[in-house]
Amino acid sequence: MPYNSLRDFLVKAEEEGQLLRINEEVRPEPDIRAASCAASKVQGGPVLLFEKIQGYRDKKVVMNVHGSWENLALSFDLPKHTGVREQFHEIARRWDSYPVPSKRVSDAPHKDVIIEKNISLFRELPLFRVNRMDGGFYFSKGCVVARDPENPDIQNVGIYRMQLKDHDRIGIQISAQHDLAIFLRKAEEMNVPLRVAVSISNDPVTSFVASSPLKYEEDEYAMMGALRGEPTEVISSEKGDLDVPAGAEVIIEGEIVIRHRAVEGPFSEYPGSYSTSMLQVEIQVDLISKRKDPIFFENLYTGLPWTEIDYLQALNTSVTVFKQMKADFPEVEAVNAMYTHGYGTIISSRMRFGGFAKTLGCRLLSTPHGVTYPKIIIVVDEEVDPFDLQQVMWAMTVRFRPERDVAIIPNAPASTLDPTHLVRGLGSKIIIDAAKPAFPDIPLSDAALVEPPKETAFWMEEIKKRMEGLK
Amino acid sequence: MNCPRCDDHRAEKIFEAPENAVWEVYRCPHCYFVWRNTEEEEVINPDLYDPRFKLSGEKIAAMDHKPPIPPLKET
Repeated sequence: MPYNSLRDFLVKAEEEGQLLRINEEVRPEPDIRAASCAASKVQGGPVLLFEKIQGYRDKKVVMNVHGSWENLALSFDLPKHTGVREQFHEIARRWDSYPVPSKRVSDAPHKDVIIEKNISLFRELPLFRVNRMDGGFYFSKGCVVARDPENPDIQNVGIYRMQLKDHDRIGIQISAQHDLAIFLRKAEEMNVPLRVAVSISNDPVTSFVASSPLKYEEDEYAMMGALRGEPTEVISSEKGDLDVPAGAEVIIEGEIVIRHRAVEGPFSEYPGSYSTSMLQVEIQVDLISKRKDPIFFENLYTGLPWTEIDYLQALNTSVTVFKQMKADFPEVEAVNAMYTHGYGTIISSRMRFGGFAKTLGCRLLSTPHGVTYPKIIIVVDEEVDPFDLQQVMWAMTVRFRPERDVAIIPNAPASTLDPTHLVRGLGSKIIIDAAKPAFPDIPLSDAALVEPPKETAFWMEEIKKRMEGLK
Repeated sequence: MNCPRCDDHRAEKIFEAPENAVWEVYRCPHCYFVWRNTEEEEVINPDLYDPRFKLSGEKIAAMDHKPPIPPLKET
């Protein structure tokens, strides 16, 4: 049963023992950040619901919604102990139902209160400094909706980091490779306004898809419908012509201030380091629509991996890249792009012929995500599970020949957040072929694998049972 | 009020806690740094602010645009 809102999901998480209520008063800093960092580092970390925020009687803060494999499984209505590989294949299976178009509704809870005068996001959202040296109060789970200024049929829903600069002014990081950057470039070239709506606190599949690297023309709402198993409900924004999630707690509407940049950052980013400050884009807010109090405000903790962002940017990136590659190369079996947002990516595939691993590496680098993020690309055979690093390292040690199986691509597009860059936005890529050499390459000398004894499975169960008996 | 990050003296209080004014929020109009008066001393005291994160007019003038502003397209 899909969730229509964050609140629906919180009910399920609590039923399943994956929601922890923090009912004592917490300080915005440093309590929320510390507890959120801890929740993402605990095995099976729960969703945290902070019920009493110092200074905000009518607001609650929700953290770590995506911060464990258990939470992620529940968000897809799977048993909470579903393994990572099983979640990958289930999401990949549901993906094939795309498109499931959104369903338009005429009323939504966040239409209860409309504010157009004396707007203050400090009042409306219980914001806090996510990490100590951040340049301000950030919120990084808002889903930003906008339309292509040249072709308004193309609408995008994406997640971008946002910094509150003033009561009605938001800084937003728009990287050149993202769809919103294409809309922005067109608007700035044409000198026309670019309206946006930011949806705050959504059901977990909404943020999962909004942070997936779909193709430019693909409809995020129709993908949410496919992954949820029923259409996502949307409603029109108050101004402009944007479709916003009907289940949201708050919608912030405004205009990107075109041909303008201002100091933004630093912010604690997914590489585990602070980004630099740069001159970035701003949104001038002119309307807020929201539910009646209390507001449940969902935010994201990002820190030294692994934290919640590493769970959020894991399977959505892996499945998207997998589907894009498989469309051209059906040999691909699975892709694991969950290390530092895919800086490290592992592709598992059958090999069509010798050297095919390099073909696959290049195909990865031409997907929307692959254009910038992947830096270390490891290709393994189809029988190697890319989600099992012991197996991947085995393949690296006994399949990979350093003198033949490496390709390095220098001076290629790269993530601007990678701390190893020499020129920001440029970097090198390495493709490591850790698959068996295929014809016409020289075959392996000792290719006959040792088979585990066929009674191994029986004995594994026996040992587990008897170990339980020892406790 | 001095900004802890860029030392600009025009920083002002822009908000206080809706409940009992238990904290105040300040904002710098130069580098847009925002802070709450109840945060750690290393965040709100200009003398204790980590020098690696300090900003100045010179540093701001040297910052890159992200993304760059494109030329206007002739219509």
